[in-house]
Amino acid sequence: MTENGSIQISNGNKKTPKKFPMVERFLEGWSVYKENLIGKIGLTLLIIFALMALCSFFPPMIDPMYHPMTGVDPLISHSTSPSWRHWLGTDFIGRDIFCQLLAGARIAFMVGISAAFMSILLGTAIGMIAGYSRKIVDTLLMRLADMIMVMPTLLVVLILSSLFGQLNIWTIVLLIALFRWPGVSRVIRAQTLSLKERPFIEAAKVAGASHFRIIFRHIMPNVLPLSLLYMTFRVTSAIIIEAALAFLGFGDPSTVSWGMMLQWVWKTGHMFQAPYWLLPPGICISLLTLSFYMLGRAMEEVLDPRLRKEVAQE
Amino acid sequence: MKRKLLLFSQIFIILLLLLSCGKQQDHRFLKIGLHEEPKTLNIWLASDANSKKILSLIYQPLYLRDPETLNLIPWLADGEPKYHPDTISYTVRLKPAKWSDGSDVTSKDVAFTAAIIKEFRVPRYYSSWKFIKKIETPDNHTVRFYLEKPKAIFLTRTLTSSIVSTKEWSDIAQAARTKQKPLIALINHKIEKPMGCGPFVIKKWHRGTYVHLQKNRYFFGLGQDIGGRILGPYVNDLLFKVYGTADVAVLALKKGSIDMFLWGIQPGYIDDLKRQKNIRIFYSKKSAVYFMGFNLRSLPFSDVSLRRAIAVLIDKEFIISRILQNYGTRMDSIVPPGNKYWFCSDVPRYGEGMNRNDRIKTAYHILQKAGYTWETPPVDGSGRVVPGKGIRLPNGQLMEKFTILTPPADYDPLRAMSGMMIQEWLRAFGMPALSRPMAFGALLTQIKGRHEFDAFILGYGRLSMDPDYLRNFFLSANDKERGWNISGYKNPEFDHLAEKSTSEMNRELRKKLIFKMQKIIMRDVPYIPIYDPALIEAVRKDTFTDWVETLDGIGNLWSFCLVKPNPDKTGQKNF
Amino acid sequence: MEIRKFVFKRLIEIFVIFFVILTVLFLLFRLAPGDPVTRMVDPTMTPEDAAHLIAQLGLDQPIWLQYIYYLKNFFTGNFGISFHYGVAVLSIILNRLPNTILLFSTSIVLSAFAGIFLGKIASWHKGKKIDTWMTLGALICHTLFLPWLALIMIWIFGFHVGWFPLNGMITPEIWLDSSSGFWLKFLDIAHHMVLPLATLFLIHFGSYLLLMRSSMLDTLKEDYILTARAKGLTEKVIRNHHAAPNAALPVVTSVGISLAFSLSGGALTETVFSWPGIGRELVFAVSNSDYPLAQASFLLIATVVLISNLVVDVLYAYLDPRIKY
Repeated sequence: MTENGSIQISNGNKKTPKKFPMVERFLEGWSVYKENLIGKIGLTLLIIFALMALCSFFPPMIDPMYHPMTGVDPLISHSTSPSWRHWLGTDFIGRDIFCQLLAGARIAFMVGISAAFMSILLGTAIGMIAGYSRKIVDTLLMRLADMIMVMPTLLVVLILSSLFGQLNIWTIVLLIALFRWPGVSRVIRAQTLSLKERPFIEAAKVAGASHFRIIFRHIMPNVLPLSLLYMTFRVTSAIIIEAALAFLGFGDPSTVSWGMMLQWVWKTGHMFQAPYWLLPPGICISLLTLSFYMLGRAMEEVLDPRLRKEVAQE
Repeated sequence: MKRKLLLFSQIFIILLLLLSCGKQQDHRFLKIGLHEEPKTLNIWLASDANSKKILSLIYQPLYLRDPETLNLIPWLADGEPKYHPDTISYTVRLKPAKWSDGSDVTSKDVAFTAAIIKEFRVPRYYSSWKFIKKIETPDNHTVRFYLEKPKAIFLTRTLTSSIVSTKEWSDIAQAARTKQKPLIALINHKIEKPMGCGPFVIKKWHRGTYVHLQKNRYFFGLGQDIGGRILGPYVNDLLFKVYGTADVAVLALKKGSIDMFLWGIQPGYIDDLKRQKNIRIFYSKKSAVYFMGFNLRSLPFSDVSLRRAIAVLIDKEFIISRILQNYGTRMDSIVPPGNKYWFCSDVPRYGEGMNRNDRIKTAYHILQKAGYTWETPPVDGSGRVVPGKGIRLPNGQLMEKFTILTPPADYDPLRAMSGMMIQEWLRAFGMPALSRPMAFGALLTQIKGRHEFDAFILGYGRLSMDPDYLRNFFLSANDKERGWNISGYKNPEFDHLAEKSTSEMNRELRKKLIFKMQKIIMRDVPYIPIYDPALIEAVRKDTFTDWVETLDGIGNLWSFCLVKPNPDKTGQKNF
Repeated sequence: MEIRKFVFKRLIEIFVIFFVILTVLFLLFRLAPGDPVTRMVDPTMTPEDAAHLIAQLGLDQPIWLQYIYYLKNFFTGNFGISFHYGVAVLSIILNRLPNTILLFSTSIVLSAFAGIFLGKIASWHKGKKIDTWMTLGALICHTLFLPWLALIMIWIFGFHVGWFPLNGMITPEIWLDSSSGFWLKFLDIAHHMVLPLATLFLIHFGSYLLLMRSSMLDTLKEDYILTARAKGLTEKVIRNHHAAPNAALPVVTSVGISLAFSLSGGALTETVFSWPGIGRELVFAVSNSDYPLAQASFLLIATVVLISNLVVDVLYAYLDPRIKY
């Protein structure tokens, strides 16, 4: 089991690399995906959040008082409960909570996808190189991966944040990516190892293709679906780590993320008085995490025919 | 087996729930809530407010401020200090007093305190003692301080410094001397039970949770009339309980688990607390200043006209009524108005009483006269106020984007919010302002350490009563790395007045100098003082009475010496 | 013996990793911008005072010399003096460690047991309503945001219902009363432990449940289960005595693997509940720029993670005859 709790059925996971063009595979995958209830729920939730993130640009354009960070209501300067003016009420200095929630969705997607993307990039590259290279390089890289994987990412980023004094949101994203690639690289490496022995690789080698070309032209397309699968799991952990950091007070003070909102409600002493402020951010984080997880699980079934058979039998 | 397990767990749960019903209390504890755990009981290391507060109940100074008049009155000392101008020395007599182990407090202890501070160069204390040439102790109750030169802060800072006992510290000092890093050895020495002559002594410090103090029966003020008050302490036990968040502490106050919370309460709680029958709310002035500072070392803020214009544009009334929710006062000088003796009211009051349009027009005229131009001036040809755009410096350059650094919103919402408002006001005027919250430690490094900033919003929450900080903040010589002159203000006239004020022993003459200094600073506004927040504290009415109100709140030494159990209560409490 | 060689090799690796972390921490902390003295805002501390303090703290010596002292101190058990508390870092860690161990181990054991037990049941009733509900419940619990869950717990059970204390580990009034007996103090701690324990439990048991469930489903397909059925053993016996112990194996090892995740969660829980443990101390140390304490706390956590991974691997090898090293 990986750190974010996704279930990996990893014994005997043999995949036959498909040689069909990408589009056909995508359509085929989609038809399987459609059958899956969990996947559908997950996707729906995700779309809702994505819409929230997109909508976050509109409120400040309607009225500057709806700006999540600097929006000040001329009439309200403390925390109030939901009203027509402010759908989820206001925070301790009169800012609109609903707008903060929307901005938080935008930040969550940004952080999650960037961090995941970067860690996948790193993990896939390293995994492929490790699987393909000689024993020494392989062992070294995997040991490094092990070392990084066991470290509690949150605590590492915490320590690092104390050194830099203040973390900017992109620094946080980079740090998360730097500590999350090992999980991916292991799987990619395993896949690469099994692919390495395949005839078509042999053929390429005989034809005189360089290692570089082999890795990127032949191996990568076949491991890519696996990478993408793992990306969904990476997204959830990135979002959670950023939220936890912001919650503890080590986030970027000039971004409004859900974790930051929770920190505000906690530290300004409104925990007991303002459920309209306490509940939404936490619910959003949990639901977004859940939706990515569902997406990931459904994609797993798409990519692993063995799991699919289980579905049919049920 | 399973059934037994079930039964056992059921009994366990019932017991747990019973615990929540509370326990009857027999003795009368005064329970104070703390926001953070005190760092240490070693007086030389104690830099945080909570450690200092607890230690102030134990170690005592020679003179203390009267809560009403704020004048210094003899505390451990007996009578006023006598000045001898020919030798530049002061004679102070001591009251008969004992340390908490029963031994006498003598003049030798005073001399010893000075010697330790000077020998080890203890930070935070050294500056108040280093100009003392020598100390004579003609008899056990007389001390004579010889100063190198007249120093005004001798009366206000040295004489209000805590005195420690030779018995407690001489061995520790001796051991520290032998180490490679004597100061570190001294300040890191673990003190479990500090020995003082104050109203209380430490009974036990359970790290992370509470500090328990008990009445010191050797307290020299016990039953004595000092400053017109008969002192106690009238409580036997003090319990300081540590709460992580204000939320929980306020709840504890409402439930009765604590009698007082030693930390300002945010205005957001007031409405709820006002409704409680058993809670009384105190509003005190603070000796504090919250201000906007500039970096005078480079453009654009090296121009005094720009700073004055910004001073006009800042709507202090708005900040106080909206952000502080009226729990604060407007500040027009670096010295807070609560510091009645030293506060100069005859200073320029930028933008006072103006509405938004007047502010913009006034600021516009100031800058126009100084040679600033706009792409779109905030005041158009017909005298109407419009959103300004693209301000240009007198030299024709477009004003570059500048940052106003503030602490993060959760650290201090007031400052963060003020920063945001000021950003908006300046932007409407055409200035490219950006208010940026920054983690507090990093913020300090940036502005104090590296001097890499444009403007910032900071505050000093605990200014001393002696206005020597005015000199510290603006003396040219203090413009160095980690120096106190953060803005880079350099004015020889000010320097001259400041130096004179440190050696002026005559209070009235010194006051004139301090007033002049304030006028100069407010004319040049390297800092724009904005607000002085009121300190809001809440106590339970039903358990203890006779809290003493003074500048900086009711959690002062006088309160602890005078607070009495409410005779109506029969002594039952919950957690 | 194979295992012995394996353990030995791993111990060497752990030592190397530890050393690397030690050095990296040292470099990072020394080269970081700012120093703890800058944070002391008191206007009465002059720059000369500050310079004096820095010199005394040894922060002005050349880096390589500081490194030598650093290593020497470390291996003689001197983890430095905390900048914030002014006492030996070791004493603070020893003071906080038991509290963390108490909370943490109890929560892991409880959630593992519950996960195994409930996962077993869920797998047995696969496809039926009870399975769906359990799986859904586990999934939802697992994706809850831990600090938020902690706040909700305090809000509902501490504030509204009032059954449990709002934070901390002990009630001062009970502990400073010399007449309080051992059992009263024990119950007091247990009383304070309920909410943080419940929070950790909810977050973790879900994943164990799901893992046990799928593990059971796999195990039940194994050949030896068919054999047992053929032998005529009852389903109950098969389930509890043959399948479950083997299915529980991956769960047990996953406890070790997900330790890093649990430790992060532990630090968050301790912070919200003001539970005086190592995790909370680490967070405080980081926010106070108390480098010695932050360093030592982190190293302690890293060591625990490395050692427990080793233990898990050994355990796995020991218990599962199929694995060979």
